Amino acid sequence: MVWLVLLCVPWLTSNEYWLDTGIAIATFAVLSTGLNLIYGYGGLLSFAQVAFFGLGGYGAALLVTRLGCSFWLALPAAAVIATLAGLLIGYSSLRLSRHAFAIVSLSFALLCGIVARDWVSLTRGSMGIPGLSLPGFDAPAQMYRLTVTAALILLAGFHVLLSSRLGRALQAIKLNEPLAQSQGIDPLRYKLLAIGASAAASGVMGALFVFHLSIVDPSVFDFYYTETMLIMVILGGAGSFWGVIGASVVFSIVPDLLRFSPDLRLMLYGLVLVAAMMLFPGGFAGLLRQRSLVRWRTRR
Amino acid sequence: MSLLTVTGLTKSYAGVQAVRDLSYDVPAGSISGLIGPNGSGKSTSIDCISGFLRPDEGRWSLAGLDLTGMSAHAMALAGLTRTFQTVRAYGELSLMENLCVAAQEHDGIGWWQSLRRNAMCRAADAAARTRAEELLGQINLAAYRDAPAQVLSYGQSKLLAIAAAMMARPHLVILDEPVAGVNPTMIRQIEAIIRALNRQGVSFLIVEHNMDFIMSLCGQVIVLDAGQKIADGPAAEIRRDPRVIEAYLGVAEA
Repeated sequence: MVWLVLLCVPWLTSNEYWLDTGIAIATFAVLSTGLNLIYGYGGLLSFAQVAFFGLGGYGAALLVTRLGCSFWLALPAAAVIATLAGLLIGYSSLRLSRHAFAIVSLSFALLCGIVARDWVSLTRGSMGIPGLSLPGFDAPAQMYRLTVTAALILLAGFHVLLSSRLGRALQAIKLNEPLAQSQGIDPLRYKLLAIGASAAASGVMGALFVFHLSIVDPSVFDFYYTETMLIMVILGGAGSFWGVIGASVVFSIVPDLLRFSPDLRLMLYGLVLVAAMMLFPGGFAGLLRQRSLVRWRTRR
Repeated sequence: MSLLTVTGLTKSYAGVQAVRDLSYDVPAGSISGLIGPNGSGKSTSIDCISGFLRPDEGRWSLAGLDLTGMSAHAMALAGLTRTFQTVRAYGELSLMENLCVAAQEHDGIGWWQSLRRNAMCRAADAAARTRAEELLGQINLAAYRDAPAQVLSYGQSKLLAIAAAMMARPHLVILDEPVAGVNPTMIRQIEAIIRALNRQGVSFLIVEHNMDFIMSLCGQVIVLDAGQKIADGPAAEIRRDPRVIEAYLGVAEA
């Protein structure tokens, strides 16, 4: 249903601005839900989401331009590359601690940016790889439909995962890891599952996003994406599926709405964030959870 | 017949031997007690046996299966579960979810089946819910089935922890101070629940400071002092054992 409605949007408006915003929302919804899976449900702070996104983008771009791969082959390959990277940093750091994972993921994201900038013979450095095009999807409306379809499939996949026992086990690990272990839950397996699934989805969105822009350059690893994802997850309510989706929509649009005043834009954005953090420290979803708690406590 | 067999368990922290060459058996079907003064190595020994600490030496097995060196989750899968001294529950999850999550690794449903939520997975979920209802009834918390666990009182949380440890249908449950800080009425309730579960075939190893609780509940009692076993036998004998009295009460000045 939602899918059909969203696919009709290009007929309602031929304004490319709205289609671009739609693509941004779809992309950020998947990216921040991926972070929500790892951080909100699994309790692992990951700075590497942007690396999975960028690796997917660069992976697909290089496969298509250097090896002449079809995009439809490069898309799953982007997912595989991102997943392998995720499992690598996850497996190497999680045996130590959650903190080790946060640090390794941050270092990895920074490293990816540096490699993209400095390995000029492969990536053309800061000039990027231009001229990415996807035959049959050249028009903005078609790219929009493709991105939205992919995003909805991935979000549906996340929803199935999170509402299954696997999501429940992840939550248990986050809430009390020793207790989960004493019940037979293997934390490492579940954390790697979360990282792998999240990296795969981010990689796919990365591949789609660079073909939408028709260029990939090192800015795809920019800290801006990490920051935006964190804002969406924290303000939407870490651990709440719909809260984070809602925040992805809002915070994909808000920065643009504030464009009326370029000088004050960043300040206004900051004010919105500070106000939200003060009013709902647990995110919007946290606010609802608090209410249900009060209901149970007063019933006694 | 012995269910848990521990031999030669030794664990040191920076030169201090917390547990020294400890060996004991927990008979199948029994409720056994592990007592000793503070710092005598009770917690260290059960943390080792349940896979949360790695001992320097020693082997232990459950019903003939060697558990030495296994990780905590593998032990749970082998049939040994535990509760913790500090109350542990998933505060944000409902009581029902707290119990169901404790059962999910034990019914042989794989990841792919969980994602597809096929008939086998649904049947296993339904079985877990039935078992959880039954246990919630036993611990008198059926009314709080859908409440988040963080609304429970301290004593109620301890009951929930015992119930959660039962969800895996374990052979042996180690209870770490199940009645410390719990009011007398609730203590009798916990005692009754342990007896009822024991009649269903579950063996218990209980670490506790409350002597009345241990003496009325346990058939066999193991006494530790300074990391070593100083006595091991039926509760009635242990109560009169001069070494036990000495360890707990000290020796009169000559």
